[in-house]
Amino acid sequence: MGVTESRRLDRHTIREQAPLILVGVFGALLLVDLLFRLAGVEIALTANRSFGGSLSAQRFGGMLWNGIVIGLIIGLAGIGLSMTYSILSFANFSHGDLLTSGAFAGWAASYVVAGFGVVSVGELLFVRAGGGAPFADEIGASIVQAPLSILVGMVVAAGVTILLALAIDRIVYKPMRGRGGISLLIASIGVALALRYIIQFMFGASNRGVVDTTDVRVDIAGLSVNLHEVTLVVAAVALMLGMHFMLQRTKLGKAMRAMADNQDLALVTGIPTERIVQATWVIGGGLAGVAGYLVVLDRGTIGFNLGWFLLLLIFAAVILGGIGSIYGAIAGGLLIGITYSVSLVWIPSDFNEAAAFALMILVLLLRPEGIFSGVSTA
Amino acid sequence: MATEQAAEERDADSLNTDTELLEVRNLDAGYGDLQILTAVDLDVTAGEYVTIVGPNGAGKSTVMKSVFGLTTYMGGSVVFNDEKIHGFKPDEIIHKGIGYVPQNDNVFGTLTVRENLEMGAYILDEVPEDRIELQFDRFPVLRERQNQKAGTMSGGQRQMVAMARALMLDPDLLLLDEPSAGLAPDLVQEMFDRIDRINNDGTAILMVEQNAKEALRRCDRGYVLAQGENRYMDTGRALLDNEDVRQQFLGG
Repeated sequence: MGVTESRRLDRHTIREQAPLILVGVFGALLLVDLLFRLAGVEIALTANRSFGGSLSAQRFGGMLWNGIVIGLIIGLAGIGLSMTYSILSFANFSHGDLLTSGAFAGWAASYVVAGFGVVSVGELLFVRAGGGAPFADEIGASIVQAPLSILVGMVVAAGVTILLALAIDRIVYKPMRGRGGISLLIASIGVALALRYIIQFMFGASNRGVVDTTDVRVDIAGLSVNLHEVTLVVAAVALMLGMHFMLQRTKLGKAMRAMADNQDLALVTGIPTERIVQATWVIGGGLAGVAGYLVVLDRGTIGFNLGWFLLLLIFAAVILGGIGSIYGAIAGGLLIGITYSVSLVWIPSDFNEAAAFALMILVLLLRPEGIFSGVSTA
Repeated sequence: MATEQAAEERDADSLNTDTELLEVRNLDAGYGDLQILTAVDLDVTAGEYVTIVGPNGAGKSTVMKSVFGLTTYMGGSVVFNDEKIHGFKPDEIIHKGIGYVPQNDNVFGTLTVRENLEMGAYILDEVPEDRIELQFDRFPVLRERQNQKAGTMSGGQRQMVAMARALMLDPDLLLLDEPSAGLAPDLVQEMFDRIDRINNDGTAILMVEQNAKEALRRCDRGYVLAQGENRYMDTGRALLDNEDVRQQFLGG
């Protein structure tokens, strides 16, 4: 009896390990294939299928860098989503549209600063709503031509989104506090729709270029770098480090972690929970606004549904990283971003978003609680 | 300055053991529309050690939660240090000088021991290092493990973290909800010893305890509650000697 039991146990563990082994083999194949490609080795398998191929290290490096850039944006936006999830206990579907709000507010400010005196303020404020003048290069909306305008844009993006998030909380979520996650989630979908169409009404429906890219590519030590991407990386990393410091060292940050950990206990410990909720909106909203602004800086175009389309990737990153953990959101964002970009080695660009979601599903099958869950909340 | 004054006042209080600290009169309370307590009376004088015992569902924990503002107030009065506190919120009640240790999930598991204590003093502007040191003197094992995540500690140590956190503001009254729940038998005695020491340092204790005999042996006075109403009140020793109480509530 003992023998059959242990054998059954063996078979059971093998069956449990099978998906892991499969994933490992698949990952190893991809890695070998990638190394072959980088080395320029190609082994023909059938008439039009082959293993390996050629991929220049420079092109691969570019993909990786691009992935990190996208990943940092997703991670930055994900921090806010993860925090509102863990502290307010609901999945905020209007988070993507907070990004959009920040993007428009920030770029309107950038346009006013960069184009003041060139074009009338009224036209600048609506960020090329008609799709016509002023063109981005006319007013020089770039980090090279008008660094101050970019800085002001980022600050305004954060500020307006914070005010918006606090106002929405006061009007919509606060009266519903304690009603449970599902009610709040559905309310947040309503908020998302309202925000998106208010933005469309104000700024128009067209997707248009708003960033001047003249001279933003410079050679540094033989590498061609995009200064806008550098701006993005510096801003995102600085904000993430700031978040880490805030959560680990400050009283407010510790109280946020305490509240994410156990709200009932936070209440009986004397932590002013309502004030912590507001601080959560300030930080989550601010980061979302900056992320929205930076997305536009990276892509060069702005449109009223940019945040809504990003939201799925942000959710994927947050869930992948372990919902509730800001470190998980950052790690998940980078993983999703890099997968999104590097998967182009094997699949056409129409499918790379699918690759990112496939990775998420895979990780969740193997580790349902996400990468960082339970390690460090908030 | 203010805290020194409070400490002096408390010292003065503890000399005169008849000083009324907590006075619950005719209290009706419950959760939402559901009434649990009916006309409950309860007193704690300064520095006193009071226990509430009774069968499951008697409303013992509800009394404590009602004092701390965690239930729906339905009538009667709760007076603490000559001030009405019924209808107050927990964070206001903490300001008045009451600390509360819930029964379950009473530490922030993802925070370190030190951070747990810091949270206990959140309402103060500065992190009071001397108060943290005081708790470390009281519970030396916490000093050794101050940077460990509270969630990774044993049940007994977690209970110490929870008590230390509730003591951070040097409360006049400490509410303990089943402090021995889930502890191994040898740890239970240690836990009661620790509570004795906290009480000897001048903090009044109001405790709900399933381990009724031991609790009554240790306390100054006990209340027996059943179905949300007062049944008996006497010194712990007298309740243990009371034949009716023994038969009905202490299992013979």
